[in-house]
Amino acid sequence: MKLLCCLLLMMLTMPISTIASEVLVYQGEQTIFKDTVWNGDVLIDGILTVAAGATLEIRPGSQIRFTRFDSNGDGIGEHEIFSQGIIRVVGTAADPVLFTSAEENPRPGDWGAINMMVSEEENSLEHSIVEYGYRGFHAHYSRARLSNNIFRNNMRGAQFQESQVVIDDCRFLDNTNGVQFRDSKVTLRRSTISGSHWGLRCVYSDLKMIGCVIENNLVNGVNIRDGEIEARGNRIIGNRRGLYLQRSKGQVAGNDLSANSEHGIFLEDSKVEVVDNRLVENGRAGVRWLNSNGRLARNLIEKNGVYGLINDGTTTVDARNNWWGSNTLTDIAAAIRDGLDRPGLGLVDSRYPLVQPLPFNLLLETP
Amino acid sequence: MKSSYWKIIGFIVAINLVITSVPSLLQAAGMASEYAGAYSGDLVWQGAVTMTDDVLVLKGGTLTIHAGTQVNVLPAVGTKIDPEYLSPQTELLIRGKLDIQGTPEAPVRFVILETSETEEIAWSGITLDRAAESFIKHVELERADIAVRCVESSPEIKGVRIANCRYGIVAQQQSHPKILGNKLIDGEGGIVCLRRSNPYLLENLITGHDEEAVFVDASSRPLLDRNSISGNSIGLALYPRDLPFDSVGVTDNQENVRWLGRQGQVEAR
Repeated sequence: MKLLCCLLLMMLTMPISTIASEVLVYQGEQTIFKDTVWNGDVLIDGILTVAAGATLEIRPGSQIRFTRFDSNGDGIGEHEIFSQGIIRVVGTAADPVLFTSAEENPRPGDWGAINMMVSEEENSLEHSIVEYGYRGFHAHYSRARLSNNIFRNNMRGAQFQESQVVIDDCRFLDNTNGVQFRDSKVTLRRSTISGSHWGLRCVYSDLKMIGCVIENNLVNGVNIRDGEIEARGNRIIGNRRGLYLQRSKGQVAGNDLSANSEHGIFLEDSKVEVVDNRLVENGRAGVRWLNSNGRLARNLIEKNGVYGLINDGTTTVDARNNWWGSNTLTDIAAAIRDGLDRPGLGLVDSRYPLVQPLPFNLLLETP
Repeated sequence: MKSSYWKIIGFIVAINLVITSVPSLLQAAGMASEYAGAYSGDLVWQGAVTMTDDVLVLKGGTLTIHAGTQVNVLPAVGTKIDPEYLSPQTELLIRGKLDIQGTPEAPVRFVILETSETEEIAWSGITLDRAAESFIKHVELERADIAVRCVESSPEIKGVRIANCRYGIVAQQQSHPKILGNKLIDGEGGIVCLRRSNPYLLENLITGHDEEAVFVDASSRPLLDRNSISGNSIGLALYPRDLPFDSVGVTDNQENVRWLGRQGQVEAR
């Protein structure tokens, strides 16, 4: 009889324990000290630390949810993953890993971040969806590779400082700000940043950006300050300002910088080679050039709103060999505003204009 | 002995209560002097206050600024990426409601606190980002990147003096502010209408801008009514050819009206 009762009790309790085991719950402040694999649903109701030396691997189809806890009322949830070890997210296209809010009505900033601090080994996020965080991905003094991820509806899609990050085939969609970083070395390839206030913004950094789409951002598509850039084969379109370089240097080649509300490219105190780009139908000007050096050559500059090129600085702009939308010198002169229009400003050397537009191709390979 | 013990405990509790409640009471009464960070409730500024860093009014919150208030703005170092909300510069970002109650006799003034590193454009300005119904009345704003930026927001902006800002007022993403009787002076651009924004511009004075006094993109349809636009590089820079406007007050600009959509400047250099 006793045995029968025990069996009955076991049968009754089994479904409950099975259901409970389907969701792994971390409450309060907890730390993972040894290598751990998640393969299923996880609820983080606190701050989960991955200790130095430990690896957290997250398998395909896992869903990681964070409860909202905003102790200081600043609109930013504080529950998050904080890693000083290694994080490897290994989703697949068919079964991505999901990081999201546990709230019934989620909103950006419900939870903190996938947060990495001094994580020198390479971390990786592959085939994941990260949504409703404050910073979807955040790193300090870390190395990471992000590929085939979607970061959406976060306050910041990704943010890092003093880090080395490679981002391939990712989409940053409808975050308040898309990607921002400082003192970092970043490679961004075949990725999309759209629907943000600032698309990509960085300071004191080295950015290689190839084959990306940066579109419909409300302030700047891309803003580099005190940095270096190599931009090839990108479509930077439909932002308020397309590419804005301040005190920066590099090469901008074979990009489509069109249909931005203000300027396609704005160079301020920079040294940049701008070649083989398409700069058309920008609202105010295709190019705004302010006290910068470098050259503007073989670009297709036409159908911009107020001017094709504005020289607002005191230096001369080398703008030979461009297509200005017309073969007549009068039209070309009308497309340019410089010291001839405003005494005291530098001139534009627009000699040897192209007599017809060169066929435009997004330049993905190094010339 | 026992009663002395309880007196001491009571005294300590009372002191603690005072210490912990005074800041919030002062803040509620608008008497705290320094502000930075995010605010979710009702915030009232009066007298002299200082923005020591970004101020964010969250959705559901209200910032009321009484007539005669002086808001000191401490410029940020322009390269920060944290903890700013939208701009690297010091910003007043409204996702709730803004009610600036200046009067002609007692305007609200935003004043830059100069440091050795302060740049000509010293702060970001006021941004309304999907804000609730807001009012910006009789304010003096200077040296902002954008004095007032409206994103999906339609405040009433009345009797405001905007000077030496990069842009005066930017309405974007279906913003339809009422821009009434303001003075916009000596900036780069005056009023900019982008992405299906249809503000009402009535009796504004826009002068001394290096670029366009009013810029309208192809998707926007502002109503331009009895504005005085003179002494700018371009008075009206307009994409929509069918935009009705009152041209009487658009005079003495280097170029009064520029139709955009093609490179339309006709004079050879």
